[in-house]
Parts: sequence; structure tokens; C-alpha cells
Amino acid sequence: MAADKSVQEKIRDYLKGKIPAARDLELTDWVHSPGGWSHEIHIFYGNWHENGRTMRLGFCLRKDPGVGLLRELSSLREHYDVLKALEATPAPTPKAYWYEEDPSLLGGPFFVMEKIEGDVPNPWSRAGKQFYAEAAKRGKLPKSFIEALASLHNLDWKAAGLHFLGVPRPGNDFALREIAKWERLIDESARKPEPVLTELLMWLKANAPVAQRLAFVHGAYRTGNLIVNNDAIAAIIDWELQVIGDPMYDVAYVLSDLNRESSPLLSCLVERDFFIDYYQQLTGLTIDFEVCRYYDILYMMRSTAFWLSASGLFADGRNKDLRLARTTYSVPVVLDMAAKALGF
Amino acid sequence: MIPAKQLIAEVVSSLRNVIAPAVTEPFQKSQAYMAAVVLEFVARQVDERADIAKEKQAALHALFHDLMRLPEAKSLGAPNAETEAALCELIERLYQNRQAMGEEAFGIANRRIRQALRQLLDQELKIAGKAED
Repeated sequence: MAADKSVQEKIRDYLKGKIPAARDLELTDWVHSPGGWSHEIHIFYGNWHENGRTMRLGFCLRKDPGVGLLRELSSLREHYDVLKALEATPAPTPKAYWYEEDPSLLGGPFFVMEKIEGDVPNPWSRAGKQFYAEAAKRGKLPKSFIEALASLHNLDWKAAGLHFLGVPRPGNDFALREIAKWERLIDESARKPEPVLTELLMWLKANAPVAQRLAFVHGAYRTGNLIVNNDAIAAIIDWELQVIGDPMYDVAYVLSDLNRESSPLLSCLVERDFFIDYYQQLTGLTIDFEVCRYYDILYMMRSTAFWLSASGLFADGRNKDLRLARTTYSVPVVLDMAAKALGF
Repeated sequence: MIPAKQLIAEVVSSLRNVIAPAVTEPFQKSQAYMAAVVLEFVARQVDERADIAKEKQAALHALFHDLMRLPEAKSLGAPNAETEAALCELIERLYQNRQAMGEEAFGIANRRIRQALRQLLDQELKIAGKAED
């Protein structure tokens, strides 16, 4: 889908200011990505001449649409700052170039980052499932999937300057902070009382586990949030829910049935036993399956909060995206999963 | 869930103001506008399912009735009304009073509440369960 010309022109003018040595700057291969529920995503190439050389560089621009999903929880500024902090670490991430708060430029805050070459096969599509199943047989991508996750959990987040994300106190503070964060979204979004969700929240608060150690946690680590190139993870993307917290939070997400639908493979890609062995080997952590079960149930609460927020935006007429309308029917389904996990 | 008429009205608005104007092919464009018109008629035919509201109310009534008779749940107090909002408050009070009630009494009341929650959920799943995308 082509963006309207005025947006392209505005971005070209902006880039001219950021790359003053660029002559004859042109933007090509423009894609307004249909993905992304919280921010608009524009992908394009910059082509220019500089000191007698022809330059071509891929860019990805994320913009706050003003009414996206998780707007209160997903800050573009934080997204940019996280990418900047990760540039000096082994974690595979795109370079972040520029952040702009000024809404007069594009109608809302935005930032520009490197376009990483590769694909993001959709694990929910038939073609995506087939891609990951075949990659699983070759063996290289599952290994890379685990290595990229371990690169996050082994990262020295203090040295990387990631304190700004907020650091939980020892004990069960991490889980309680996560619950509080999502409960705020529920309070803002719920249009009617949801007693099953109340029971779920109370159970989660009463059973919050102690984090075995604090790590840098992605918060939504799965296929679909990873750029794949040459059978390897080229970049981890979707930096919207990252926290300093319990690494089992990410492990639980990988182990979760929520992220594999009917596939026997974790995240439609990785054999369970291989994931457990290789992850433990790379991180020195012991996977606590009881804690992962807890976080899996917390993810169900989180999904409910997502869907309440999404359907609320649509119902209020603030966002016309029909995908958001669909989510009103997802609320009872995910609450049913949670109820079954809790034994009722 | 969003009430049916409200949901249809917003889908109509999306079709009319976002989707149809962006479609360039004349036939497909007119189809998008016509879908909006048809949905407006459908909205007039639609009523929220009364059976679901009735079943939910029955589940709530039975729950509050049983809890009032449970000696273990006496300390939770009587609800102001037999509504889902009152049930939310009751669940919060139950967890807050857990220590004072003791695990056995908590467990008895919690099991009865969860039984009612399952009944409420099953009613919502009559609409939301197993739809074809």
C-alpha cells in the first residue's frame, strides 16, 4: 500500500535535514505495513549521492497514530531508547537513528530506525507455519531463536543503561508490577464488570512468584516478532513490552500454547526438549515450570486486557480498524482458557 | 462483549468512512458501501439474546442465595444487588478476608463462586466460542 504523497514528501524533507551531505535524495520501495496494532510502520529505501558515491539505505519509520492499541503502555520514546541502549550489546536489533516528539512534522511522535533485511513470516498463516516447520527440520533457525533469547537474558542490563525501564524490588515485586500495569489498562478499558477476570486478577496477586533473578525481558518473544534472514534471527523487533524482570516471563511465553496454535513446536519452530536444554545451557538458568505456568496464566490476563482495550477503542469510534472489532469475541475465549488453567 | 447494535453501527461507520473511500475499483467500492447499507437494515432485525441475560441472572441469583446460606461465607456480607458488578466486589472481599476466614472457608466459598463463574462464561461462549474467521 502506498503512503499518500504528502507523507512521503514530509519524510524526505525530514531526512534531508538529518543527512545534510545527501544530494538528490529519493525515497523508493515504500511500504505502509499492514502489521503493527499500536504504531504505524512505514518501510522504504533512501537513495542519494554523497561525495560522488551512490548511497542506498533501508529505513523503518514507526509513528504514533494517536489512537493505536496499548498507546498508554507502549511509548515510542522508550522503544527508541531501548534500541539505542541495545546497539552496543550482542542482542540482534536494528540501529535507531532519530526520534522526533514534534507532532507538527508528521502529526505525531515518530522515530526512524534501520531496516533489517529479511522476512517476518506470520506464524498464524498457513504459509508461515509451513516456513517455520521446514526451518525446524533444517535446525539452524531454532538454534538461532534460542540464542537470540539467551542474548537478552544474559545481557548486563545495568551496564547497558536500561535502568530507565524500572527495576523491581527483590521477591515477587516483578509479577505484582506486571499485574498492576495490565490492571490499569483493564480499568481504563472494561465496559462492563468482568467477574471471571476479577477472580483471575485476585488469584494472580495471591500467587505472585519470586523472580529467580532479574534480567532484560522482551515481553513478547515469539516468531512473528523476529526478523528472519538466511535461516537465522536477524533482529528482534516489537520493542513495546520490554521490562527488567523475571526471565521466566519470556520462557513462559515461548512454552505457551498461546503462541503455537495447533503446532507441536514451540512458537511453531522449536522442539520443546531442545529449547529447554539449550536455553538452560546458554543462560545457566534452571527453567521453573511452576513459575512458567503462573506466567502463562498471567499472559491470559494480559491478552484479556489487550482485547478489552482494542475492542473498547473500536466501540468508542476512536479507531476504525475492523481487527479491533473482532477482539470483542476473543475476551470470553481467553478467559475460558484461564478458567480451565485455574481448574474451573 | 460490545452490544450487537453498537458493534454493527461502528462496522457501518468503518465501511462507509474508511474502507469504501479507499477502494479504487468501482464495483468493489459500491459493494463496500452496499455492505454498510445492508448492515444498517440488519441492525434493525437484531436483538440481544435474552436467553443469555436470563441464564446469567439465574446463575447469579443461585450463587448469592447459596453464599448467604454458607456459614463460611457469612463474613463476606450481603451483596447490594445480584449483579456481575456485585460479584466482582464479592470476589475482591473474599481474597481480602482470606486470612481471617481461614483456608477451608475460603476454599468452600471460592469453589462455589468459580462454579458460578463457569456458568457465566459458558453463556458468553454461546456467542464467542468457535467462530470461523
